[in-house]
Amino acid sequence: MRSRFTMKKLMAPVLEFDRITKEYRGFWGRRFRALGEFSLQVQPGEIFGFLGPNGAGKTTAIHLAMGFMRPTSGKGILLGCPFGHAVTRRRVGFLPENVALYPRRAEHLVRFYGAINGMKSRELRSRAAQVVEMVGLQDDIRRNVSRFSRGMLQRMGLAQALVNDPELLILDEPTSALDPVARVNVRELLVAARAAGKTIFLSSHLLSEIELLCDRVAVLHRGKLMRLASTVELLQAGDETEIVARGITAESFSGAVARNGTVTMIVPAQQQKRAVEQIWSSGGEIVSLLPRRRSLEEIFLQVVAEPPGGPLEAKP
Amino acid sequence: MAVLLIAVNFVREQRWPILVMLLWVLLLAFLGLSAEPMRHREDLLFVFKQVAVYVIAFSVFFGSSAIFNDRRSRRILSVLSKAVARQQYLSGLVLGVTIASAIYCFALGLTGSWTLGESGFPVWQVWFLMICLLAACMLAGSIALMFSTFLNPFFAAGATAALMGFPAFASYASGSSVWGLVIPVYALAAAVLKTSFQSPATASWIPVIFALLETLVFWIVAARIFSYIDIAVSVE
Repeated sequence: MRSRFTMKKLMAPVLEFDRITKEYRGFWGRRFRALGEFSLQVQPGEIFGFLGPNGAGKTTAIHLAMGFMRPTSGKGILLGCPFGHAVTRRRVGFLPENVALYPRRAEHLVRFYGAINGMKSRELRSRAAQVVEMVGLQDDIRRNVSRFSRGMLQRMGLAQALVNDPELLILDEPTSALDPVARVNVRELLVAARAAGKTIFLSSHLLSEIELLCDRVAVLHRGKLMRLASTVELLQAGDETEIVARGITAESFSGAVARNGTVTMIVPAQQQKRAVEQIWSSGGEIVSLLPRRRSLEEIFLQVVAEPPGGPLEAKP
Repeated sequence: MAVLLIAVNFVREQRWPILVMLLWVLLLAFLGLSAEPMRHREDLLFVFKQVAVYVIAFSVFFGSSAIFNDRRSRRILSVLSKAVARQQYLSGLVLGVTIASAIYCFALGLTGSWTLGESGFPVWQVWFLMICLLAACMLAGSIALMFSTFLNPFFAAGATAALMGFPAFASYASGSSVWGLVIPVYALAAAVLKTSFQSPATASWIPVIFALLETLVFWIVAARIFSYIDIAVSVE
């Protein structure tokens, strides 16, 4: 009985949005819907990518999860407790989109955030130094963060998010201000966190990063969830196949491209058999035959071009 | 612990305004050094009273701008993303305003004990007036904080001044001293302003106790309102 309960607890989503709607009210009572009937579950141990163009509602969703605002309707669960439950946030690390920190020495600042999160000063001393080193700021540990560059501030933001060794990391654009080296470091840090059993909810505009890191991806557009799938599934265009062949001419096949002695063509999945037979009957040889892989950018642009599927402006 | 850390952090953030406030205390100390205590004792008491009531205005300023500054700079997000409940955050700010005012009251109490003490003013009365002043600051700060949960600092300060002034007006219009216990900031400030060498004792503990109780009430109201506020929304 106990093990079943434990299993259920283990399998429960760490973050769940359940039909959440969020409307902002303007000064004259005009309402703007930032999220509409939004539902999503993030499972333990995964890196979850949260994508969407500007104004899609990503930050609103994150702020709702952190309890910075209340949903207009619907409910959400964060690590088994409703959104806004303060004690639960002890197990969460949050990095906001625009990092704003109190002007203090880096080491003191990390200790301050750890202490308000209920950490004891003895463990904090070593942990602060450890997380500052993890984000590569060990040489600046005694400097005041007010003199930090934007990239350094972002790394400090990550350090304060990591100080309590959180089970769930919610990161809003964690690498937007970082140089390529720091970006790789952060990526490695996130992969290591996943290996340690942490869950990471990652909102980013850097599609290549999402593609590299995330196990699952959700694409949000105008407050609606447009796509939700594993990264592998999403990137595979199941309805198209890429065939590479040799011993044939590109002119014999419509849309085929000759490259380095081979001919590449993309055919709809249902025409795949016919195309292969045609290549063989022309005396050609198949080099490879793979489901066509799309880039996340392609998917993103496709989603943005789609109609959102519902009215966005709610009537006052 | 989090409440205390937020309070200390608030005081640290406000260190420059606090230092500027303390310049007024320095002025009193300078007068104490340069003037003959017995000959200029009325002047010294006048400056003491004047310098004393400034701290109430400062506490309104601190209280009305505290949340706004944190929200505008977005630093509030990194605090409230931790295991800090909103009422704890507000408690930290009330305590921060109290500590800032207490620093001023303590410095003024020390300087007043020395300058006025030499002039024959009872030292215990100086400290009692400082307690009155601190209680008034706590109440004024918590009212300002309550208004600032939903108003910008300018309007919050105005609304606080209006609310604090209302009992004074009602007391004056009705001639009843009971109004002095309703938001007793005015009553406590008046106790400081009315003190003299002839009758130094102008206040009792009752308005002090009422001020502390009402601070608690305004903190509860502020916490209730603040729990419904979307803090991540722009405050401009």
